[in-house]
Amino acid sequence: MIRTEEMLLNVGPQHPSTHGVLRLLVKVDGERIVETEPVIGYLHRGTEKLAEDLTYTQIIPYTDRMDYLSAMTNNYAVVHATEKLMGLEIPERAEFLRVIVMELNRVASHLVWMGTYLLDIGAMSPFLYAFRDREQILDLFNELCGARLTYNYMRVGGVKWDAPKDWIGKVDHFVSYMQKQMKEYHQLVTGNEIFIQRTKGIGVYDQETAINFALSGANLRVTGLNWDLRKDAPYSIYEQFTFDVPVGEVGDLYQKYLCRMKEIDESLKIVAQAVANFPSEGKIMGKVPRVLRVPEGEVYVGIESPRGELGCHIVSKGKDKPWRIKFRRPSFYNLQILPTLLKDENLSNLVAILGGIDIVLGEVDG
Amino acid sequence: MLGLIKGLNVTLKNMVKPKVTYNYPQEPLEMPDRFRGIQYFDPDKCIVCNQCVRVCPTDCISLTGKKNPDPNQKGKVIETYNINFEICILCDLCTEVCPTEAVVMTNNFELSTYSRDELFKNSEWLFANDENIRSENTLNPIPVKKPTGGTPS
Amino acid sequence: MNTLLLYLGPVILLLIVLGFVTYAILAERKVIGWIQGRIGPNQVGPWGLLQTVADIVKLLIKEDTIPKNADKTLFKLSPIIAFVPAFVVLAVMPFSSQIQFTDIGVGLLYYMAISSITTIGILIGGWASNNKYALLGGMRSAAQMISYEIPLVMSVVGIVLTVGSLNLNDIVEAQQKTWFIFPQIIGFVVFIISSVSELNRTPFDLPEAESELVAGYHVEYSGFRFAFFMLAEYVYIFAMSSLTTVLFLGGWNAPFGFTFLPGIVWFIIKFSVVVFFLYWVRATMPRIRVDQLMQFAWKVLLPVALANIILTTLLKEVPFLTHYY
Repeated sequence: MIRTEEMLLNVGPQHPSTHGVLRLLVKVDGERIVETEPVIGYLHRGTEKLAEDLTYTQIIPYTDRMDYLSAMTNNYAVVHATEKLMGLEIPERAEFLRVIVMELNRVASHLVWMGTYLLDIGAMSPFLYAFRDREQILDLFNELCGARLTYNYMRVGGVKWDAPKDWIGKVDHFVSYMQKQMKEYHQLVTGNEIFIQRTKGIGVYDQETAINFALSGANLRVTGLNWDLRKDAPYSIYEQFTFDVPVGEVGDLYQKYLCRMKEIDESLKIVAQAVANFPSEGKIMGKVPRVLRVPEGEVYVGIESPRGELGCHIVSKGKDKPWRIKFRRPSFYNLQILPTLLKDENLSNLVAILGGIDIVLGEVDG
Repeated sequence: MLGLIKGLNVTLKNMVKPKVTYNYPQEPLEMPDRFRGIQYFDPDKCIVCNQCVRVCPTDCISLTGKKNPDPNQKGKVIETYNINFEICILCDLCTEVCPTEAVVMTNNFELSTYSRDELFKNSEWLFANDENIRSENTLNPIPVKKPTGGTPS
Repeated sequence: MNTLLLYLGPVILLLIVLGFVTYAILAERKVIGWIQGRIGPNQVGPWGLLQTVADIVKLLIKEDTIPKNADKTLFKLSPIIAFVPAFVVLAVMPFSSQIQFTDIGVGLLYYMAISSITTIGILIGGWASNNKYALLGGMRSAAQMISYEIPLVMSVVGIVLTVGSLNLNDIVEAQQKTWFIFPQIIGFVVFIISSVSELNRTPFDLPEAESELVAGYHVEYSGFRFAFFMLAEYVYIFAMSSLTTVLFLGGWNAPFGFTFLPGIVWFIIKFSVVVFFLYWVRATMPRIRVDQLMQFAWKVLLPVALANIILTTLLKEVPFLTHYY
């Protein structure tokens, strides 16, 4: 009689495929996973608590560091919540700039996901191609707001900088370049038989499970539910643009990949429309008092970040600092489903499923 | 099989494309004008309004002022001005609020040192950091009286 | 004089192989760099030529660490077991019509038999490290190498049947008119897939799958012992590319009667093409999953290889078909 023993495998926090400092305590039986327990908190910085001691303007650079792959959407979440509470009017030009940078940031974020996901699966080149193309977005952002990752671009009432000369033209050029590059990615990755083998039918969950786990973003849409806050609870000027929300059918990793790739296409479409209709002149800051005193009250806004519903809940007591601020960080909620998905899977699928969720540890740990 | 061959074709095509990497340490990187690098500080322009200290989200700026030595002039002049680059996040808020553009951003970004102590920069060091100064800085310049004391630089 | 050559020859071959490994690593990094829009190592020496030398020096002067709970004897032994067969298999390789160390009748069988010893080294290394990742890597390695050895051997049976000999010299001689890549195309495809797998390279690099097992079986090795594992891996690339050249690409035979270049040059050219192909595949493919890997070996490659054997026998033995072969 062969006696087998379960083995406790400690994956992370220093492991190449945990996308930062996630730690997973995995019980394995041979290569089959019996149980997984994620341990988080290695990157906890207490953003929400710190924010209670900061003015609304000072919070913005802190949000850059939550989901550091799409700092623009984080900026927007806190700025939008504050504006909603104060009832501010935002100039049209500022809204256009916001939409352009947020959608470009979504493209950049999905590119990083695509690259690192293939790196998890074992292909090296798509990673560097994705970073090559993302670099162009970062250069555009660098020109616009002077930073490549932590933009600190948006302000309550508008944006900090107007578009520099020729910048809009460069964005337009990038959109057509990226649309061409997408074909190359599809040739390199989408049809690759090994990639399909690794992802098709893996990590499947149905719509009900997804809703019960409060998943959002591509993780939810892949199950076939058409739920995109840009359409379903429109903010900013998204109502002006025509775009589709890509949804999947079966909720496996391959469709997640396809969903995200299509989201890049849709984001590029939005950017192209925004560039075409970009107001030739106008202010970029609305009428905002010098010291922001937000009236007493509560507000919750949810926006569609690349990872899902990014919420910002502010409780104000009428001071220049929030009494309490709470971010609904999509990566954190999406991560909850991991132990369920990993049960009875092969150890090789661990990185594939974890990568498919698309977490950013800065956001998970807050 | 076809997908694999297509992929091989893509990688082979990319092999002859021009390379995209920078020869960075050998050739300095040119940053765009708006780049947020290490601050330049001009003590003559500073009116000791303390706004940069108050707006700094990480409390990395510390300054002290003294009474203007010229008894005919009102106001204060700066005595010490320090930025602690261990915690500075280069968020640009200090230059945004500075009404006289005394503290402005430059395009220099090389900060690495062998000791953490060296990251504590004083006003002399920041004043000497006068290359590649950003052209547009404060967002909403507040009309103030021309700073008194000291010569404009 | 002959005795001197007997002892000196292997030493020269070892130096050549070490030189090859040094520059194969550099070439791999350069080629993958170019494919990925980079330029590869360019800091140490002109065009990065001394990069690998610097890496080896670094490995040699590194502290030699052995985990406290490792099985020390086996831990020290395993890099040697992994490396020695890699070098020993080169003895039967005919690099040109003159340059060969031993011309034994069962050269091909010798290669296959000796090369499988390396698996033991890897398995021992993975087990002796007393590390869970290393253990998983070692287990995967044993399963994979043993599974893929079978299609690897089966795929060359077609050639053996055609030539009627296991001697590598005879196999090369038989390819003077046509290389076996054309009549044995099925065998070639099976062979190249299994050989990539035997070499533990992408898309079959599961034993050292970086993103899953960190470094697999050599995760606890450092310094010189780690260098030995790397050396074994690259010497196998040398050996396997040579074998591919000999079996399917006509060895030292010149194509189209271009005999103005000596046989050894043709050998090197064909050999380099095979090595480049390995790099190219590595830069393109994702990693296959471990259970799919097994299924692929037993359910796809083995039946195809067997079918190839039957096809070859039919072509060779059935009278009216031999005409076409």
